[in-house]
Amino acid sequence: MDAKKKVAAVDGLFTMDPTEPQLIGGKCDSCGSYFFPKFYQSHKPTCPNREVREVLLSRRGKLDSYTIQYFPPPPPFVSPKPFVPYGLGLVALPEGINIIGIMTGIELEDLKRGMDVEMVVDKLYEDEDGTEFMGWKFRPVD
Amino acid sequence: MHPWGKFANKTFVDLGVEAILNALKDASMEWKDIQAMVSGCFVWDGVGGMLSGHSVAAVMGETGIPITNVFNVCATATSSFRTAYQIVASGEQDICLALGTDMSPTGFLPILGGANPTDCDYLRWKMLGITNPGYWALECRKRMERYGTTERDLARAKVAASKNGALNPNALYRKVYDEEEVLNSPMVADPLRLYMICATRDGAVATILCSAEVAKKYTSKPVMIAGVGLGSALCGDPTARLGLLAAPPETTVPMLSESYMSSQMAYRISGIGPDDIDLVELPDNSSWHYLQYLETLGFCGPGEAEQLLASGETALTGKIPVNTSGGMASFGEAISAQGLLQIYEVVKQLRGECGERQVQGAKVGLAQTYGMLGNSAAAVLKV
Repeated sequence: MDAKKKVAAVDGLFTMDPTEPQLIGGKCDSCGSYFFPKFYQSHKPTCPNREVREVLLSRRGKLDSYTIQYFPPPPPFVSPKPFVPYGLGLVALPEGINIIGIMTGIELEDLKRGMDVEMVVDKLYEDEDGTEFMGWKFRPVD
Repeated sequence: MHPWGKFANKTFVDLGVEAILNALKDASMEWKDIQAMVSGCFVWDGVGGMLSGHSVAAVMGETGIPITNVFNVCATATSSFRTAYQIVASGEQDICLALGTDMSPTGFLPILGGANPTDCDYLRWKMLGITNPGYWALECRKRMERYGTTERDLARAKVAASKNGALNPNALYRKVYDEEEVLNSPMVADPLRLYMICATRDGAVATILCSAEVAKKYTSKPVMIAGVGLGSALCGDPTARLGLLAAPPETTVPMLSESYMSSQMAYRISGIGPDDIDLVELPDNSSWHYLQYLETLGFCGPGEAEQLLASGETALTGKIPVNTSGGMASFGEAISAQGLLQIYEVVKQLRGECGERQVQGAKVGLAQTYGMLGNSAAAVLKV
């Protein structure tokens, strides 16, 4: 049986490396600020630089906060049918930026602030042809 | 105002027209007396909505007046109010109408616009499905660990709002909730339950602003605008900002910095501070907002909001009555109109027209909005 085709649900947000995928962020080389996605969202007013350099962000971080969503979000998010509640985490990376991601590989009642997590690429949904659309998620590490 | 609710057989124009007719009646004016209008954009459908003021004027009568349409998400209505204030204060016009009219999509407020990979709002829906309450829940959980905020504290915010809403004939939800009902309501975005977050609804408010000299012709008891603030975010604000995928770590920059900035601006212009304010309408999008805004606006110190609420100091007879209208908990949110609903309540209180929910001796009130992606507005009114 052929392996299912896997594509990023949106290009340019993360690498598809099969073992060590990474989020694609941006860095201002003048003030050292990191951004995700790779364009400016919040820049230091004292920094004159307007260029941003593409960088790959650390795969590991700490869970700073989390929630569990119990109702299906509206489109364009594609929810499984029937809907299954899922966790969302705010993960602090060593670069000094917190990233929101879907939680995977953990029972929802085991989510805990401060736990060590790593970024993975995982299926968000698939279409009728069996193509899998992938997103970044976070899962706990020992 | 046009009451808050769901009006399947009306349009945002219908709501806006009714709100204007009611405001004109209240002011003893006619439409032809209005010299300028500022209107909040209705963003859910087409150009006619983006030009909401023009769409409403087409019904009221096309008098050729200057019309400005503004959109600042949750701060839209109070931004309209600010621009109307500037039009009158500058001396350009003597009478300006500020309008907010909105009809919300059903359910969680969805994405605006298309599949744009450089729009973080698109990305948050597409890649994460994180709803607005999802963002608030991330912050609420941090607060619970930082200050020991309990689920019961979160329930108390709804209970307090519902007691006021029950006394407001204009409120949509007039039931008084008890803590157990709130604590037993379905979980939406853990730790926030259904009765800890506001619904989305339809509604409209029109306010008429006059120069002090002209106001004398229409009333012997005008409500004065002491100061209006508009704020944007400060770099380093650690709040997980609604619509973004990332946030800075904890810093010394205040949370909800856009709201801190707008309130500070209104305080500075008016010369009025939190200790002088008799009542506040704050954006209780969720119970977390209720608590956080008490601190952001300076009514108490960090971590003290739970005690202020539990001790009854935010009730009608307390030190700082909060959301005497019943707030979003009792009305639901109609984004482009909500700030003017807050201003409407403050005006009613300062006029002494609030009946059973009247704050005795109210002289100064604050209307404060929330705001997506770092924007917020605040108005201090006085008599």
